[in-house]
Amino acid sequence: MTPINILFGLAVGFIFGYILTRTGITKYPRVMGMLLLKDFKILKFMLTAVTSSMILFYLLGDMGMLTLTLKTLDWGKLVGGLSFGTGMAILGYCPGTMIARIGEGKRDAILALFGTALGIFIYALLIKPLKGFMLTGEMTGDMSVLLGINHWFLIIPAAVVFTGIIYFVNKKFSDDTTIF
Amino acid sequence: MHIDNSKEWHWFKGGIFVSLLSVVTYFIFAALAGRNYPFGITAGFGYLAAAFGGLFGALNDNPVIKRFGEKPDAFIEFFILVGLVIGGYTASKLTQTFSPENIPAAWEKHHGKSVVKRYLFVLAGSILLGFGAALSGGCTTGNILQGWAHLSLGSIVAGASFFVSGIITAKLLYPNLGGKK
Repeated sequence: MTPINILFGLAVGFIFGYILTRTGITKYPRVMGMLLLKDFKILKFMLTAVTSSMILFYLLGDMGMLTLTLKTLDWGKLVGGLSFGTGMAILGYCPGTMIARIGEGKRDAILALFGTALGIFIYALLIKPLKGFMLTGEMTGDMSVLLGINHWFLIIPAAVVFTGIIYFVNKKFSDDTTIF
Repeated sequence: MHIDNSKEWHWFKGGIFVSLLSVVTYFIFAALAGRNYPFGITAGFGYLAAAFGGLFGALNDNPVIKRFGEKPDAFIEFFILVGLVIGGYTASKLTQTFSPENIPAAWEKHHGKSVVKRYLFVLAGSILLGFGAALSGGCTTGNILQGWAHLSLGSIVAGASFFVSGIITAKLLYPNLGGKK
C-alpha cells in the first residue's frame, strides 16, 4: 500500500481511460455498432493494439527481458466468455470502458459498476460447485508447446490475419456513420 | 445519427498507445509487485467484491475473496479504476464531449425513455459481465488486449466467446439494425 503503488495505479488508469475516451471506444453506438457488424472502429483499434503488443511482448521475451504468463484453457473460459459477451451487449460497454464512461458523466455506468462487483461476488460464493465442473480439464495455454513448433510460426500468421481483417473492414466500413 | 470521427483519435494511434502502455506496465508491475502478468480491469472489480465480502466475516476463507483481496497488486488494480474515471473525465472535458445522461441516446430511441427498464437491464447485464469476467479469467482488457497478444489459448477461447454471445445478444436487442442494409 505504498504511495508509489497508488500513483502507478492512478497513472495507468488515467492513461488508459484517456486513450479509450479520446479514441471514441467508450461510445455506446460504437460498441453496439461493432456487435451488429456495422461499425468496426473498435475492432480495428483492438487488433492494432493486439498485433503490436504481440510482436513487442514476444521480441522482449526472446531477448530474456520478460517472462509471459499464459492463460490456461478450461471450460470456464468458454462459459464465462459467453456470459461476459451477453452482459457486454446488454450494457453496450465492457468493464474498462464502463469506468471511463462514469468519468464522462454516464450515470447508468455507476449502477453497472456495482452490478459487476456483485457478479464477481456471486462467482466467489459459487466457487466450490463451479470448480467441480467448470474449472476442470485444464490444459496449457501455450499453443507453441501444444503444437511443438516455434512461437514465431504462430505470431507471424496471426499478425497477417489481424492485419488482413483490419484492412478488409477498413475498406468496407466507414467510421463516420452509425446505424443508430 | 452521425458520429463526428474527426473529433476522435484515429484507431491506429489509440491502438499503438494501448500496446505501448501494456508493455511498459508489464515491466513496472514486475518491479513493484514481482508478478509476470499484464494489467487488467477485472481485478479492480474483484477488489471491490472482496471488500464487500469482507463485510461478512464468514467469507474470509473463500479462495476468490482471498485472491482478489490479499494479493499485493490488488490494491494497485483498484487504483487503476480510480484513474480510469479521471482519464475519461479529462478526455471528455478537453474534447467538449462530457455529457451527463441517464441512459444512452441510442437505447432511448429504440427501447423507450424508461429509466427503470434500462437500469433493470443494466443490473442483469453487469452481473453477467462480472460473473463471466471472473469465470473466464479476465475482461476485454485482460483476455483480448493482453491475452490475445500473448496468444494464450484460454484467452483466445474466452475472447472469441465474448464476440459470439455479444453478436447474438446485440441482434436480439436490435433485430432491425445491422445485417444487410
